[in-house]
Amino acid sequence: MKHLKFFAMWFFGASVVLTSCKKDDDTDDTVIPPVETPGTVVVTSNITANTTWEAGTIYQLAGRITVTAGATLTIEPGTIVKGEAGTGANATALLVARGGKLNANGTATSPIIFTSVADEIDYADMAAGNFASPNLESTVNGLWGGVIVLGKAPISASNDVGDVSEVQIEGIPTSDPNGLYGGNDAADNSGTIRYISIRHGGANIGSGNEINGLTLGGVGNGTTIENVEVVGNQDDGIEWFGGSVNVTNAVVFNCGDDGIDTDQAWSGSLSNVVVIGAIGHSFELDGPEGSASAGHTISNGSIKASFDGRVCVDLINVDNNSIVALSNLFFTDIDGTQDINNVTAAGVTFENIQFNVPADSLQNHVNGAIPAGVTAGTTPQATISSLGWTWTAQSGAMSGL
Amino acid sequence: MSTRHFFLLCFLIVSHVLTAQKGTLRGSVSDRESGETLIGAFVTVEGTTTGTVTDLDGNFSLDLPAATYTINVSYVSYAPTIIENVIIKSGDVTVLEQVLLSQKGADLKEIVISAEAIRTSELSLMNMKKNADALLDGISSAQFKKVGDATAVEAAKRVTGVSVEDGKYVYVRGLGDRYTKTTLNQTEIPGLDPDRNSLQMDIFPTNLIDNIVVAKNFTADQPADFTGGLLNVETKSFPEKKIFNVGISTSYNPDMHFNSNFLTYDGGKTDFLGFDDGTRALPAGANQREIPTPIGSATEQEVRDFVTSFNPQLGAKKATSLADYSASVSFGNQLDLGKDNTQSRKLGYLFSASYKNEYRYYDDVEYGEYQRKIDSTNYEMTYATTQQGQMGERNVHIGLLGGLAYKTQFNKYRLNAMHLQNGESRAAQFRIDNNGEAVGQSGYLASSDNLEYNQRSLTNVLLSGSHVVQEKKWDVDWRISGTRSSNSDPDIRRTAFTLETSDTLFSAGAGGNPARIWRSLEEFNAHARLDLTKTYAFREQEGKLKFGASQVLKQRNYEILFFDIQFFGSQDWPNPSPNEVLKPENIFPSENNNIYYQSGNNTPNPNAYSSNVSNTAGYISNDLRLNKRWRTIVGVRAENYVQRHTGRDQRWASGDTINGNNLDNEKVLDALDFFPSLNVIYSANERQNIRGSYTKTIARPSFKELSYAQILDPITNRIFNGSLFTYGNWDGNLVETRIDNLDLRWESFGEEGQMFSVSAFYKQFEKPIEMVRIPEQQTSTEFQPRNVGDGQLVGLELEARKNLSFISPALNKLLFNVNVTMVQSQIEMTDLEFNSRKQYEKVGQTVEKTREMAGQSPYVINAGFTYTNDSLGVDAGLFYNVKGPTLYIVGAGLFPDIYFESFHSLNFSVSKKFGEENRSAIDFRISNLLNDAWEYNYQSFEATPQTFSRMSPGRAFSIGFSHKF
Repeated sequence: MKHLKFFAMWFFGASVVLTSCKKDDDTDDTVIPPVETPGTVVVTSNITANTTWEAGTIYQLAGRITVTAGATLTIEPGTIVKGEAGTGANATALLVARGGKLNANGTATSPIIFTSVADEIDYADMAAGNFASPNLESTVNGLWGGVIVLGKAPISASNDVGDVSEVQIEGIPTSDPNGLYGGNDAADNSGTIRYISIRHGGANIGSGNEINGLTLGGVGNGTTIENVEVVGNQDDGIEWFGGSVNVTNAVVFNCGDDGIDTDQAWSGSLSNVVVIGAIGHSFELDGPEGSASAGHTISNGSIKASFDGRVCVDLINVDNNSIVALSNLFFTDIDGTQDINNVTAAGVTFENIQFNVPADSLQNHVNGAIPAGVTAGTTPQATISSLGWTWTAQSGAMSGL
Repeated sequence: MSTRHFFLLCFLIVSHVLTAQKGTLRGSVSDRESGETLIGAFVTVEGTTTGTVTDLDGNFSLDLPAATYTINVSYVSYAPTIIENVIIKSGDVTVLEQVLLSQKGADLKEIVISAEAIRTSELSLMNMKKNADALLDGISSAQFKKVGDATAVEAAKRVTGVSVEDGKYVYVRGLGDRYTKTTLNQTEIPGLDPDRNSLQMDIFPTNLIDNIVVAKNFTADQPADFTGGLLNVETKSFPEKKIFNVGISTSYNPDMHFNSNFLTYDGGKTDFLGFDDGTRALPAGANQREIPTPIGSATEQEVRDFVTSFNPQLGAKKATSLADYSASVSFGNQLDLGKDNTQSRKLGYLFSASYKNEYRYYDDVEYGEYQRKIDSTNYEMTYATTQQGQMGERNVHIGLLGGLAYKTQFNKYRLNAMHLQNGESRAAQFRIDNNGEAVGQSGYLASSDNLEYNQRSLTNVLLSGSHVVQEKKWDVDWRISGTRSSNSDPDIRRTAFTLETSDTLFSAGAGGNPARIWRSLEEFNAHARLDLTKTYAFREQEGKLKFGASQVLKQRNYEILFFDIQFFGSQDWPNPSPNEVLKPENIFPSENNNIYYQSGNNTPNPNAYSSNVSNTAGYISNDLRLNKRWRTIVGVRAENYVQRHTGRDQRWASGDTINGNNLDNEKVLDALDFFPSLNVIYSANERQNIRGSYTKTIARPSFKELSYAQILDPITNRIFNGSLFTYGNWDGNLVETRIDNLDLRWESFGEEGQMFSVSAFYKQFEKPIEMVRIPEQQTSTEFQPRNVGDGQLVGLELEARKNLSFISPALNKLLFNVNVTMVQSQIEMTDLEFNSRKQYEKVGQTVEKTREMAGQSPYVINAGFTYTNDSLGVDAGLFYNVKGPTLYIVGAGLFPDIYFESFHSLNFSVSKKFGEENRSAIDFRISNLLNDAWEYNYQSFEATPQTFSRMSPGRAFSIGFSHKF
């Protein structure tokens, strides 16, 4: 039957059309290995066994590199790590998953630098003690992601399944289970982080989802974090999501959003802190999100509320349910009407909070009745002598603190 | 067609026009009871030997000198019908639309009627409905001409149980998107939406459509993947007489038109034709693995050149909107090619084109995101983000159709080509308020300019044939069709300045950096089907054995590319305005702002996939009349469905080939299913049927649902996750939903299209698929399709068409028409959902383990009055449609449920024919008389509903003029 013949012909024709419809991509699905330059190791896959990164080699992060559970990444003092460019799913970052460990034991004379491939800093600069970027301004941000450490300490989170003890860290898609954090081990140990400087990061990983310079999600107090610096991050400087870790000697310089950001009932302490030139709030301190309730303390800090044209929004921003004890904080270079947004939150206490403003204008900087612990004053509270190793200090931005 | 044939055709068309001396009588003949066309019926001029026989469509054509005739129509075992007063005019075609013959009986020897009585418009559809093997409802071109519906979507909402969402999507019996299917000329066509299964019906202009029919229960000859309804759009094919119609119309909306606040942006030179001329094309080099940035090895000039290769326009601008206007033209004829071996040969052709340009301006658009509070005594919801602003849209629709049909007495061939084009340019300005007190939110204010262009097209070619082997009683019908559809959003631009107390700038952690997105979807469908019918006699009743085969091939390609604007160093905006952003002084390298682009696209791209489907089907069905009263249709269909996917997740795309997932044309679904269908029809008498049916149908996962896709939707900011990921207690194994359907209907048909029917239906869903919010993810909104607990629904449907002459004879020209569908649905919640709802249970609230099905409306009401006065040439109508509040997105826990609120649509239309032979017509319409708004709201126990999205379409007044040459 002639129709049948036509039918068959058409079928053949259609299948040819469909085959030829397949996208001839100029890029096929095979992953081309990146070009290696001498002295540089490009890191493309997760760290699943104990690994050491050595000083003298530049480690280039080609994606979101995860130290998985059971593995320890040791980074020698004075090592340089650089992230490749990218945004969204393309952003590069170092992620320490729950059960993984980061031993980054820098020293004041040999800190560990996390920066972008655009940064020309090299081992000659390090040897000379020049820890500043030779070619990038301290305001350049968003060139790569950041450092994320996740642990098994308690968090207070709520979401659409109600009260949960583990959630996905912001910026990491659900498909990556290494992004989960939280648990019930307050003494959890994610390793040791000493003398590290994180620069030019904070890439956008989804709308409203940037990576903080240093993200600490459910990190337990078995972890040691001392002497950390975040410079030129597009999002917050350091952000805690619950956990119990204590942090001393922290510097946040020229960040695109908040300086210090806390959420989900972090129960540790932060002491000796310097925040300069944040664009969001200098301190953004939120309360518990779930029914678990705990507070943290922040003490001995010096804050420049405006710096070189960068003016933060609120000096301190708390929610009604925030739980935080603030003591010995000095705010200077206060501009216009920057203030504490809320002084009636029951869980927030103020002790020796000094604003470097005339006493008669103090009220302009407190939204509500001035608490007894908030006064006009001129005494810096951070010990900046122990922060001399930082780019921030080397740039002279700490003068007057 | 060869050139010689083409010239022959042209010659025939011309010579036909020039040499028309006689008039022509055309018509069709069918059985009064079954509505089936009668092939080989004799049509003769009473008292002469001049005559002809009907062809395979039951149609006849007879050339006669101008005069008034009496026509005799006869067929074996039927009572002859004598039609008096048939007037034939020189050069004109007289049409007897449907001559109905009755079986000869003791008391029925002969029927005599006048020609006027045969002029019917909706009767044929009504007859089809009465005699169909399935539950059918529909609307014909005659009807939507009367009502003045301009697009298929407007026309479809007059059909029983049909409702329309977002002015585009047609749903049947209130069932969700997954359960409605649309076909074109009974062949598969691709959808135009990356996220929905339903076809966007606003793209079809009515002047290309002959009828829209909705089948509400499955029969074995139809595809099995519909549950609510199968909506078939039949395009026009074979005009009965020469037509040459032109129409123009304009529409004025006082809220939207000649408004100097209208928002727009500069597009390309071909925007008025519904497509982009390349103005919005992706700049060269942007799709490379590495784009020039100050971070990489590119030179400063390369970075600068790359940035300047993007269109610098980021801001909306004010302009004055015009009123809507549209025009259409149709031209066609049927030619007698003379007789060949006593067979008449006819050629029909039809060309149709339409153009429409619309302006929409919404001055109070609102979007919102809300959260519930965990405190069980705090009922009100708190906002996370609200957006309020204005939006301007310009929408261009073009429809082109060309058709050829060739017919001999027992064979018919049809070739149809269609192209639909639509371009929608949109500009909006919003003020964004983010609430720092809300969970996971940092709090900020921003002002945003959004520029979008959505371009859609659909090109379809259909070749079909029908053959009748009369002596053997075989009918053969075959169709092959190929379609390409595309839907792309080139260069979506979103520019949001964050407003801080002392500064206005771009803040990545607040309003975000400016972003540009290119999104494209392309799909090819090929469908071939062959249907064979053998008519036989069983105990003196007619039986029909039907069997056939069908093959569908589909291929879909989808991709999103996005780019963020970045600043190499600090920003400074002395004059913060979106169109200032990409000024040369801000582009890298520069004193300030140092703009460059960062690519959000891995190579290969996780925001892309290509999928294909092969569906091979065969069926057999037997339609048996047991006696004059009972009819049974029993059938079974087998479908072998194979779906393959090419795509990967973010991990794999970022180079982790060990932990990442990648599919390379891998089989994600391969299933052979059998779908039984049993329909029983009891005809209590000639006017009444009782129908019962049991069928099994299926709803399969869509292309992207069976994948490792992780797609960030730039419009809603939601992240879609393919079902293959195993998260928490989800095992990554998404299966098809199988549905058992039971239907019962009583229907009664009266004179002149009057009818009354009551239906009841019950559906049982095994493992329905719903979009579930992924609980582990808090800061971004991620969804995954999952099988949830079993569901069921029970519904009642009522339809009445009644002439109001029973109230007073003066009202005999007024027809009241109402149809109501009420549905109660129930789904078993998963433990996950139930526990999360329980966690947020308020004092006084009892969270149940069941809820309504997502997307299922509790009721749909369509009602209207039509007034028809043929002698004055006046038609008028008042129509009302509403769909009950529908669960749109399932919430739970922190996130409240979102409902689509009822939109009360009331429209009025009137048309008047005038001039010589009523060839001209003018019509006037008012739409949305009640000035209702489209609203989607968050709802929570005892809380004030809050806006998810709200837009007000305003009231529109249209006037149109048409003329038939």
